[in-house]
Amino acid sequence: MTQINTTWIEASVVENEVHMSIVELSHAARTPQELIMSWVSEGVLSPVGSSPEDWRFSGDSLRRAKTAAHLTHDLELNVPGVALALDLLDEIAQLRSRLLRES
Amino acid sequence: MKFRDYYETLGVARGATEAEIKAAYRKLARKYHPDVNKEAGAEEKFKEIGEAYAVLKDTEKRAAYDRFGENWKNGQDFTPPPNWNEGFEYADNGFGGGHPGYGGGFEGDQSEFFESLFGRGNHRQGGRGGQSRQGMNFKGQDHHAKILVDLADAYNGAKRTIALHMPTLDANGHVSTQERKLDVSIPKGIKAGQNLRLAGQGGPGVGQGPAGDLYLEIDFHPNALYRIDGKDVFIDIPLAPWEAALGTTVNVPTPAGSTLELKIPAGTVAGRKMRLKGKGIPSAEPGDLYVVPTIALPPANTDSQKEAYENFGKAFDFNPRSHLKG
Repeated sequence: MTQINTTWIEASVVENEVHMSIVELSHAARTPQELIMSWVSEGVLSPVGSSPEDWRFSGDSLRRAKTAAHLTHDLELNVPGVALALDLLDEIAQLRSRLLRES
Repeated sequence: MKFRDYYETLGVARGATEAEIKAAYRKLARKYHPDVNKEAGAEEKFKEIGEAYAVLKDTEKRAAYDRFGENWKNGQDFTPPPNWNEGFEYADNGFGGGHPGYGGGFEGDQSEFFESLFGRGNHRQGGRGGQSRQGMNFKGQDHHAKILVDLADAYNGAKRTIALHMPTLDANGHVSTQERKLDVSIPKGIKAGQNLRLAGQGGPGVGQGPAGDLYLEIDFHPNALYRIDGKDVFIDIPLAPWEAALGTTVNVPTPAGSTLELKIPAGTVAGRKMRLKGKGIPSAEPGDLYVVPTIALPPANTDSQKEAYENFGKAFDFNPRSHLKG
């Protein structure tokens, strides 16, 4: 194992500071643009803007798109299956949060 | 090196059909997928399942693996005999595909056992520098990694040195792992699940294209004192029964490192949260710190302690089970 350079880096928080075009999201989530478009039409992602060229995705979309890409690849889920799984995962997260707050 | 019983991993018989293997894999993959299962160890288990499936779904690999016979058990010390796989031909090299999934695709995810038998996959090379064609300019690949930070870092901000292990491919096609150290500013207010973007720290660009970005997904180190939900933080504060009944003042340690004095009112009940507004994870709208009282009973060991409890009981006409009508 060799060691390379050391650099000091300022980072931006994607969820707070970043908006992405479909090209950037496709690159960051390593997912074809067509698949992202099909997730948008299924309601998995909700960009602002009228056409794919104008779409602006919020920073939260990255995590969602990454999860959708993992589920598509690992479990071979189709688009409606991914949408259902993400909705259920959201619901589980909300229930976990409520459990923590009510315990 | 330990032997891996891939049939046992998937919970199928050695004579299982392809369809049975696929069904067993799918069922386990759904159960242990790291996006679905947040239990500790789920990701590790998911990778084991993926590795087992990569071998057993592939006719050639399965046939080669089956040569070891059924006497080998999971975890037994194992060295593959020389030329053990002579005469077998594989369609791919290790795991196939460079897809963005967890199962199959990440260099270094395979066990030593798998690598000694089937070699390492040769995808995920950390950039495509060697494939540059004249006049073609592409942005480099975006990379992703997970890092753990302390809750205190979210309160105070921090500078942290992180070590990332990156597989790289040399000119001769050999894979080696390089350690790359980055000193990263962790911004105040960061929350679990958020991503930091380090511009230009991903894979190298092709031609004149810029380098890709590095995304770091944040999670907190497990913390014995605090529970965290988004920007809100919870801490249990144990009280003696007399403190809860009569009221007291306690010192509450905050994740920022300071101590807050908190007045506990008389008649405090276990579990009834007290909110310290704005003392959660900082942001434009900061989270809250919740103090959750619990009641701690001192054990009655000595005679005088036992007597104290008896006197305690005599002083009250108290039946905690009155609602049971027993």
